[in-house]
Amino acid sequence: MSTLEIKDLHVSVTDEEKHQQREILTGVNLKMATGEVHAIMGPNGTGKSTLSQTIMGNPNYTVISGDILLDGESLLGKPVDERARAGLFLAMQYPSEIQGVTNAEFLRAAMNARRPKDDQISVMDFIKELDKNLRLLDMSDEMTERYLNEGFSGGEKKRNEILQLLMIKPKFAILDEIDSGLDIDALKVVSRGVNFMRGDNFGSLIITHYQRLLNYIVPDVVHVMMGGKIVATGGPDLAKRLEKEGYAGLRDDLGLKIKLTDED
Amino acid sequence: MTLDTNALEEQVKSAAERLGEPEFFVQRRLCAVKLMSQLEIPKMQEFSYDGWPIMPADDQVRLATSHPSQQAVTTAHRAIGKDVYLQSAAQGQKVTSQPVPAGVVVETLHQALVKHPSTIERYFMSAIDAARDKLTAYHQAVVNSGSFIEVAAGTAVDKPIEMMEVQDATKADQPFVNHLLVVAHPHSKVSIVQHLASVGEKANSANLMVEIVAEPGSEVHFAVLDETGTNITTYLNRRAKIDKDAHVEWAVGMMNGGNVLGDLDAELVGEGSKADSKLIAVTGGGQHVGLNNRVTNRGPHSTGLINQRGVVLDSSELIFNGIGQIIHGAHGSEAEQQNRLLMMSPQARGDANPILLIDENDVNAGHAASVGQVDAQQLYYLLSRGIPEHLAKRMVIRGFLSAVLTALPNRQLEDEMIAILERKLLNE
Repeated sequence: MSTLEIKDLHVSVTDEEKHQQREILTGVNLKMATGEVHAIMGPNGTGKSTLSQTIMGNPNYTVISGDILLDGESLLGKPVDERARAGLFLAMQYPSEIQGVTNAEFLRAAMNARRPKDDQISVMDFIKELDKNLRLLDMSDEMTERYLNEGFSGGEKKRNEILQLLMIKPKFAILDEIDSGLDIDALKVVSRGVNFMRGDNFGSLIITHYQRLLNYIVPDVVHVMMGGKIVATGGPDLAKRLEKEGYAGLRDDLGLKIKLTDED
Repeated sequence: MTLDTNALEEQVKSAAERLGEPEFFVQRRLCAVKLMSQLEIPKMQEFSYDGWPIMPADDQVRLATSHPSQQAVTTAHRAIGKDVYLQSAAQGQKVTSQPVPAGVVVETLHQALVKHPSTIERYFMSAIDAARDKLTAYHQAVVNSGSFIEVAAGTAVDKPIEMMEVQDATKADQPFVNHLLVVAHPHSKVSIVQHLASVGEKANSANLMVEIVAEPGSEVHFAVLDETGTNITTYLNRRAKIDKDAHVEWAVGMMNGGNVLGDLDAELVGEGSKADSKLIAVTGGGQHVGLNNRVTNRGPHSTGLINQRGVVLDSSELIFNGIGQIIHGAHGSEAEQQNRLLMMSPQARGDANPILLIDENDVNAGHAASVGQVDAQQLYYLLSRGIPEHLAKRMVIRGFLSAVLTALPNRQLEDEMIAILERKLLNE
């Protein structure tokens, strides 16, 4: 069993316009283990994406204090690629497009980066694994010879993120608004992919605005983030309650004094 | 040092006559010797090449007709591992090992001068003017190797004609003055791939020209991969004259190691003519490379596209001037250009200068230029999948170059280009 632990994490970003540091995360605590699916819900502008990017090591975010531990070992100071090889995966909200590099080549490079030099994946094994996962995600073979995400629709990009997840098989996957821009059919396909990964050796942190995704990927634990920290933790029922009452309702119940971005 | 025109004329005359060149060509050489003494080395915008040994010193200029040395032949075969013809003015050479398709002439310049003197007289130096500057005059005066490709009217050749030209730099004072002349007669279609390489480590100069004459309705795809060594100082001038409804596509890979002053030029003479000029340059070490990529719209409804991508490593310098000129009367024309540089080191120097000269109202013209670093978003994305930084960077660079790489006529050439790129990136 592996664990991912976030301890009193404070994170700031540089405000491009004002050229000053702004604190986004104000003390996040979270602990999860493989075998579990956690969901983080929260209103816009509350730091959900900041949390996921910080865990991955995006250099645009500065950790002021606190720690991120994978199996008890701090990830702070480790570069992005090392964190990935240690077992983290971030399904991005806006995946990059890279012309000239095919999807297949990219996938093989990512898989081989985790294997010793003298034990690189064979072409046959790679193709078998790829075929299986393409079928699972209703993706056509032709997708793999296309350039990485280039000219992909929003839905295709999200499917491609899940294809990578299935091929790379990380310990922990953070899915950052994987449901945004997906129609209901695509949402089902993407959820099928994530559910396929579920098991003792895989944990997932799902970031979403909406409860809808959680009907398809049922979480073990639901966290609610507001004002840069986790303010409530519960079971799947907590998500359903939010859907009914909204974030403002929960805030008032908890007696929190936080201004929500989209509040009138 | 000044040019002793009398002595040079004598040397050129006797060498050319010994080769059996036709009288008109000998006369042109002699005229050009006179021009050399009157003309200056050209200036290039935004780029200085003062002090380069871009041509031999005046008292060293001569028509060099020596055979390639056996050492050079052996080295070239070993290094390049396929049929290689070291180009020189010598007789009895081949241009390519491929069978020549029907309707196509592929000969060395020397063979063509003997067998088709009137064609050469008509087309040789018809796109590039020998009287333009000292470097073009020098070329006409002492051109010592080259090839001639002629495609008959209506003939379409699908398979690219591949040629490998190797400069013998196993000895000093062996300038390579090479000329490729392509004549595509009306409604013909041809694709040509030229490889340029060098053997030997001695400092030498190269003066390379390509002229493409695209007659009405013809289509010429010309790709060139230049991988000559760091010891070669190159002047190159590649120019296409494009007639009515003809189409010329350049795909140029500048992967060489030495200093280069280059002019790539497409003259859209005819109505509805089209030029698509794509170029990649990768510079490293202490290399200096300055390239003019010019498209001139003269004919109405002509289209000129320029897309240049450069990767600048180490302490090298790379200057791109993209020059789009629309002449008065070329109404309904289009001129689009992109000049982009990727700077890989703080010591590298680069500039991308779009220059639009437009003398007609009813046209469409646009340009984009950028000088920047590896796309941070793309790099982050690849890193987040565990791909190590050095590999991730290469992938981003390939992405940056791919608009031009994918325009190459075959996958093999693309792979060769990527292999050279990898070698150049080794120090990164």
